[in-house]
Amino acid sequence: MTAADLARLQFAATTGIHWLFVVLTMGLVPLVAALHTRAAYTRDPARRAVRERMTRFWGQLYVINYAVGIATGLVMEFQFGLNWSGLSKYAGNVFGAPLALETLIAFFAESTFLGMWIFGWGRLRTGVHVTLIWLVALTAYASAYWIMVANGFMQHPVGHQVRDGVAYLTDFGAQLTNPSALVALGHVALGALTTGGVFVAGISAWHFARGTGEPELFRGSLRLGVWVSMLASFFVVVVGELQMPVLERTQPMKVAVLTGDGVAALQEQLVREHGPGDYVPWQDTLRISMDAMTLIGNTVSTVTLVAVILLRKDRLVRWRPLAYLMTAMIPLPFLASVAGWIVREVGRQPWLIYGELTVEDALSHVGTGALTVSCAVFIAVFLGLAVTNWTLITRFARRGPSATQLGTTDPAEPERPTVPSY
Amino acid sequence: MSLETLWLALLGLLLAGYFVLGGYDYGVQLLHPLLDGEQQERNGLAPRNTALDAIAPFFLGNEVWLVAFAGVMFGAFPHLEGTLLSGLHPLIVAILAGLVLGNAAIQLRRRTPSARAQRRWGALIVCGGALPSLCWGLVIGLLLYGVPRRADGSFHIGPGDVLTPFVLACGATTALLFAAHGAAFVALRSAPQQAARAGQLGTALLNATGAVALLPLLLTLFGAGPTMTNPRTAAALTALLAAALCGARWWLVRGRHGRAFAATCCATALPVPLLGAGHHPYVLITPSGTGLTVEHAVTDSATLHLLSAFGVVLVPVILAYQAWSWWAFRGRTSHRHADYF
Repeated sequence: MTAADLARLQFAATTGIHWLFVVLTMGLVPLVAALHTRAAYTRDPARRAVRERMTRFWGQLYVINYAVGIATGLVMEFQFGLNWSGLSKYAGNVFGAPLALETLIAFFAESTFLGMWIFGWGRLRTGVHVTLIWLVALTAYASAYWIMVANGFMQHPVGHQVRDGVAYLTDFGAQLTNPSALVALGHVALGALTTGGVFVAGISAWHFARGTGEPELFRGSLRLGVWVSMLASFFVVVVGELQMPVLERTQPMKVAVLTGDGVAALQEQLVREHGPGDYVPWQDTLRISMDAMTLIGNTVSTVTLVAVILLRKDRLVRWRPLAYLMTAMIPLPFLASVAGWIVREVGRQPWLIYGELTVEDALSHVGTGALTVSCAVFIAVFLGLAVTNWTLITRFARRGPSATQLGTTDPAEPERPTVPSY
Repeated sequence: MSLETLWLALLGLLLAGYFVLGGYDYGVQLLHPLLDGEQQERNGLAPRNTALDAIAPFFLGNEVWLVAFAGVMFGAFPHLEGTLLSGLHPLIVAILAGLVLGNAAIQLRRRTPSARAQRRWGALIVCGGALPSLCWGLVIGLLLYGVPRRADGSFHIGPGDVLTPFVLACGATTALLFAAHGAAFVALRSAPQQAARAGQLGTALLNATGAVALLPLLLTLFGAGPTMTNPRTAAALTALLAAALCGARWWLVRGRHGRAFAATCCATALPVPLLGAGHHPYVLITPSGTGLTVEHAVTDSATLHLLSAFGVVLVPVILAYQAWSWWAFRGRTSHRHADYF
């Protein structure tokens, strides 16, 4: 493998694995926030207790998932500088700003507030505690926005001027409203909500089918999960389609490969414009990914629509195979969202910044040996953590609310007043 | 003061903030097997660990200082970011691998009740503290000494650059300092009995830090260390660092844990101004005394002005909510507190 292949493999693998955790984080956090709010404003003590357990159960799964999300996210910010220093040389003036703002506006706040939420049970006032989880949700989506602005610039560079082979920022507003960022953000957010909804519905249905003895808790969860995934999966398909006109305008080659129409003509045109080279991304990979995403999108959308109708009188979970079908759907949105990223990023090849900087040209002058080591280390660590984390999520999901560890204080110890000692 | 200098100061603040906050995390991670209180297992949740309990509510908010540092470096100093990270490739990869493992291990350790899994997570937590501490020390040593920059501005460190007495001594000093800093934090946060133990451990570690720190100092004085661009500033900052170490030891021995921790905070933060001010206007220096200046590292002025407009609002807000999180979880740890990591 060449240095470029190794660097690409490293970036694709680490970003892909990171994304699998991010998509569930983004899908679950609004649901956890909504559940927490509802629990906090329930007067009746018995119902309040159920709703609080519900919040802690889903919050527990969310927090376990977040552990690998943040750990892998720490690496992302460094990837560009490590292996792709040509990017900062060419577009550092433009591309760095959204990334800097993402860390300052979103990542910083999300992590700090989540730490406070995890340890705030029984310590912070309810109103403050609920506000914290909403802030976590808000900043998670703000983070997605800034990342999509940076990614949108790679897909469709706007708001800049190139002087002496270096890009300069001229119109920040154009960057912030880049259609390539905004429409994709909508698609990504809805995809995440679909993932979260299907996850909640699938686990709830499993507990019903097994009769684990928490019908009230899981009935509410099932209802929430099915409704969210039905609405989100319907609109994720619609917004996905909205991206096509943007692509036709900005990335004709991607559209040509997907439709299988006019690839050769475009290749000739691009050779005339940018000099000799292969401007066609991997065609089969792109088409298969697109088909997989579309198929999954339509399947999930249809199944959840039927599921909403079957929610009445618990029909959805009374017949076991149907309940298990909901559970079996859990991996599908993850697969679809990875396929979506492949369409977006593989379809951008050979460009790093579309039409301006190729992936090859952006590569750092790092030796193949160093790259092989870093590639192997990161992929091994990330895969190991991903598998461990999913095992843990599955275990906690199966054990149900009674095994929740989040928000517990030690009842064995007598209460002592804690006086600040410094 | 020019806008570039302000952004350089902010970059320094973020890195120093990371050394102070991430520094005690790493120290605590390193020491956590030694600072384990007598705790009981209950309903499937493995026993708490005194040291990890101390950092728990702050842990997630600490590590992000590093990400913010990287983000601001990319935004405001893109030309430094590209060369620095690719040049230090092996060390950065080691730091990141340690960071990812340690970070995940702390959050996941108590999700598995089996004693064997606990031990494995515990080992990862220690590695996740040791690797970044040591490698950050090596990075500080390299940046103080100078990197082998080529004519095109890029550089690559090899074993020959890292395995020098000065750089290795900086690595060892930093690792010991972070460990002592972690011990001071546990002394501040834990119940009296464990606090006393952490205090003793911290004192021993501070003795060791002081002893090892003499080596880079002597090497510099006898001309085998770095040649600082601004020797007077560097000397003053080094004196402050020495004073902070002595102060930390003095107060730790006398059980004044708050003051001792304040002193170790200063000691962990001071390497950053030492690098920044000691070599100003260079942000990346070669052993021959030239290098990349702030002016050449900084982004275009239009971008810098734009970032400044955001920074004026964001930086105070960030400092405010971080301070709020420290205030909200002040005081010594006890069983009444939510129990998770």
